[in-house]
Amino acid sequence: MYESDRALVVRMGAGDQRAFDEFFHSSAPRLAAFAARRSGLDAASVEDIVQNTLVKAVRNLGSYRGEAALFTWLTEICRHELADVYRKAARRPDHTSLDELSSASPQAQLRVPAQHEPTAQVETEMRRSAVVRALQALPERYSLALEAKYRDGFSVDEIAHSLGLTSTAAQSLLARAREAFRERWRKGNDDEIMADDGHD
Amino acid sequence: MTERQAFSSDTGSDKELDRALTDVLRSSPLDSQALERIRVAVEKEWRTSTTLHRRSRAIRRWGWASLAAAVLVIAVTTAWFTKFAGEPVVFGSISRSDGNGVDVHHVGDLLRAGDTVRAHGPMLVLLAAGGSVRIAADSTVDITSATEIRLERGKIYVDLPPVPAASARLNVWTHAGMVEHVGTGFEVLSDDTSVRIRVREGRIRLRAVPGAAGNSNVILAAAGTELLAVSGDGIVRRQVPTYGSDWLWVANLAPTYEIEGQPLLNFLQWVSRELGRRLEFSDPEARDIAARTILHGSIRDHDPLDALANVLATTSLRYEILGDAIRVNSDR
Repeated sequence: MYESDRALVVRMGAGDQRAFDEFFHSSAPRLAAFAARRSGLDAASVEDIVQNTLVKAVRNLGSYRGEAALFTWLTEICRHELADVYRKAARRPDHTSLDELSSASPQAQLRVPAQHEPTAQVETEMRRSAVVRALQALPERYSLALEAKYRDGFSVDEIAHSLGLTSTAAQSLLARAREAFRERWRKGNDDEIMADDGHD
Repeated sequence: MTERQAFSSDTGSDKELDRALTDVLRSSPLDSQALERIRVAVEKEWRTSTTLHRRSRAIRRWGWASLAAAVLVIAVTTAWFTKFAGEPVVFGSISRSDGNGVDVHHVGDLLRAGDTVRAHGPMLVLLAAGGSVRIAADSTVDITSATEIRLERGKIYVDLPPVPAASARLNVWTHAGMVEHVGTGFEVLSDDTSVRIRVREGRIRLRAVPGAAGNSNVILAAAGTELLAVSGDGIVRRQVPTYGSDWLWVANLAPTYEIEGQPLLNFLQWVSRELGRRLEFSDPEARDIAARTILHGSIRDHDPLDALANVLATTSLRYEILGDAIRVNSDR
């Protein structure tokens, strides 16, 4: 049982403002990261998804029984939201026109063409993309463990708590996750270099 | 060793791996403003939910002596929960309705996904996420989700804040396609054979149904543009004024503007927006007076033009309507 999460939810149900603040600050940024890295959606869509997820969560707090970590429960709601977005996107016409292209985001329009960017910036972006791709390719449990460690700065015990594991199991999971990430990351970089060489 | 080889081999070291993961995972996909918008919306929903729960608990504490009364109240509360729990987020609430009591929905009613609004008279709906939808008489609107509606027939005007929150987006489905706003005020009219869209502010994007717009399925339209889609005839674009008699129905349904404690300048900007006319000052002094004058009282039950006349009558400023502009002069 996740007593501390359950207690937080009970306090929220009683109208405790501090409990709400704790809930929001501990979950909203993590959920945003969760949604962004699993979907590749733009910031506005991620904002929608996080908001809808949390709104549904607070409306249904009574159904949280502490059988899983609160964040795990939230990610379940978030997955439904993401699936909903994909369903809607699939129903939309997939044609684009010049009109549509002209409405692309200002950032996209103002972006300096890649060939004019300083090499260092291009390289930083390449590194970043490689990391994101490698993370996206990992099994869910691995990426959750890495996010908890590197994004949230959780200790092994805290990761164990949030994923419902013993500390030893969390330690092993983290080690496997790092190795799996390393492998995919390295492979992604090698592929990119080969593709680049092919174009030279 | 070349630069590329160094890049590749770096990915093997623990230190580099730690740094790469920290750099990427610590960067948030949402900025602080986006998180704040989310917090406001979620907190509002949380407060609503907890208030209802607390009421329910208090009722249970009344004890045996009040059992009969409590049963009645609990029944009402339960009916409320049964009706609303599990339903989608509130779309908005009805702020004004001139349907003479014929409409199913009345002032104060909350609207949610799945509701159909049949407005016999003009109706103003304030959106939960900010902005409004004004519905003309004899219109039918289906609310399909918190951010999507379908205009079955009649006429609506969508007015959203200049920089809307993500949750304040609103897409309007018609039989000619889907209208998406890009931060705007726009009117949509739909009848059996045609759909007319007039953009008053900002821009809209129409995702037309296949065949309706020739080769292009997506059409952008800026302020002052009308798109007319007639069944079988494609879509015709033309320029229209953003002010004048065609827009009076929109101004007459404007949400009440609370002037108490507001600078006159804010009020003038509101009137300018509601009338679709630019705000001009004849001289710097007039603008200065408008910025310094603080208003008191209420303009409830006045349409924007009446309110303008009444409010300026209490100041040293005068106004005149000149084509697409409202010109404000200091009374010298």
